Amino acid sequence: MRAFFHSPRRLAAILALVLGAAAANASAELVVVVSSRSPVTAINADQVAAIFLGHASRFPDGAQAVAIDQQLGAPQRDGFYRTLTGKSPALLKAHWSKMVFTGRGQPPREANGDAGVRRLVAENPAMIGYIERDALDASVRAVLVLP
Amino acid sequence: MVQQHTQRLSAAFATCALAFLSSHASGADAPGEPAAPIWKLSGFGTLGAVYSSSRSADFTASVLRAHGAGHTRAWSPDVDSRLGAQLDLDLGAWSGVLQVVSEQRLDGSYTPQLEWANVKYQLTPDLAVRAGRIALPVFLGAESRKVGYTIPWVRTPVEVYGSLPISSSDGLDATWRWSTGPVLHATQVFAGRTNQDLHNGLRIKAEDIVGLSHSIERGAVSARLSAASGRLNTGIGKELFTILRNFGPAGDLLADRYEIRDKRVSMVSIGMSVDPGAWFVTAECGRTRTDSLLGGGTSMYAGAGLRRGALTPYAGYAQVRADVATHDAGLPLDGLPPPLAAAAGQINAGINGFLATIPVQSTWSAGLRWDAATNIALKLQLDRVRPRQGSRGTLINNQPGLRPDRAVHVGSVALDFVF
Repeated sequence: MRAFFHSPRRLAAILALVLGAAAANASAELVVVVSSRSPVTAINADQVAAIFLGHASRFPDGAQAVAIDQQLGAPQRDGFYRTLTGKSPALLKAHWSKMVFTGRGQPPREANGDAGVRRLVAENPAMIGYIERDALDASVRAVLVLP
Repeated sequence: MVQQHTQRLSAAFATCALAFLSSHASGADAPGEPAAPIWKLSGFGTLGAVYSSSRSADFTASVLRAHGAGHTRAWSPDVDSRLGAQLDLDLGAWSGVLQVVSEQRLDGSYTPQLEWANVKYQLTPDLAVRAGRIALPVFLGAESRKVGYTIPWVRTPVEVYGSLPISSSDGLDATWRWSTGPVLHATQVFAGRTNQDLHNGLRIKAEDIVGLSHSIERGAVSARLSAASGRLNTGIGKELFTILRNFGPAGDLLADRYEIRDKRVSMVSIGMSVDPGAWFVTAECGRTRTDSLLGGGTSMYAGAGLRRGALTPYAGYAQVRADVATHDAGLPLDGLPPPLAAAAGQINAGINGFLATIPVQSTWSAGLRWDAATNIALKLQLDRVRPRQGSRGTLINNQPGLRPDRAVHVGSVALDFVF
């Protein structure tokens, strides 16, 4: 037991594990993703917000952009909008109610979890979504990292 | 382990099924690809109760109401209560919307009215044209004022929104979205006409409606500039004008000035709001002209609130002043034989009765919004409404006992929902 705690490498490894897990639980880092087949390589936070709030329907390069949301109540969704727009789920509901009941648009289509968003976005270069950084794979490209 | 595996499998299956359904159910992301029609039913409503301290007039949210709180009854459910239902059809580039709203009308009934009914064609991702009925995009949010859930306060300020001469248009409109750097623009132009039944065959018609609305968004800041005009015709005061025209040139002059026959109406406004999430400030001013009995005025309001979790305390101030005389000397009575003078006096009183309904008023408001769930908000609001300069303000059903320039205190509770 003494030897265990006196081994600096093991202690460091345990600390890293504990801290890493704590950080992951507190706020998993979110990335905004497009299909790996999309020509989009970078986009700024304002442009992403505009697409997800229905104010813009194109990527900066002019190609059509279709937003994909995580499901209502998903922590990714709440974190994404809070970071990007400062809006709570209730404020977003108010925003979309205003859009829907004036015929200006419908909220983004929802996909189920990181895997669902990734799969949908990977298949269609027009789509843009957000997932946890850990869920990244080669089928999608991260174009913006959210703090 | 097995359970985890099963969960992953079912999640993967669900994702596949969703992706399959999504790709087959919507054509929004694939222009040109035939898509199955999507119907969507949604709705909104408000259950409200309003108390007014005055027994000599009714407080109401709109002049197009039969009664409100105060004179008719101390507590009224009619001021804010309404129910709306909307059916959306999405065929990709083509879409349609149908919205009916039930709220108290001038005849006292809750007969549902068609608020929106149009077909939209998305020419490009940035340009859409619509044909059919739209609610006019005037002031900061006239077209969404009936959806209580979307506004912080119980109701849009009555000084600004309570007496719009026209509020919808049957015709065409086009919306073009564009950007200059980080600033997003939406420019909307519209043209049409409207013919609405008020009650008992009394109609309000507007032709040659044209207008423009330009919205700007940049992060937390949004602004809107709007202008609309039309040619108004309505039979309001018709009996009065028929008699008035029997009084020679002086009568004709007065009738031409006030009768709502082919009168140009116009509305212009500019508004702005800043809403970073934790707080918000919104302000707006506008001007309405009718060149008639309905008068004209300049209105403004400013409001702000703080968001603390699910609670939003807010406060605001609104006012409207008349840009036209709210009193007219009317027909000259000198030299008229007594019976005619008596009739002319009655006519003059009639004209001034109408002119007193041109609102001059200010209101201080404070309230609290509680977002009880993501689609339900409960609001409590206190208003100190003060009609000024002998006007009855935005009050209706005023009785002889209504004391001018005396403040009316109004308390409101409203439950807003969307589904």
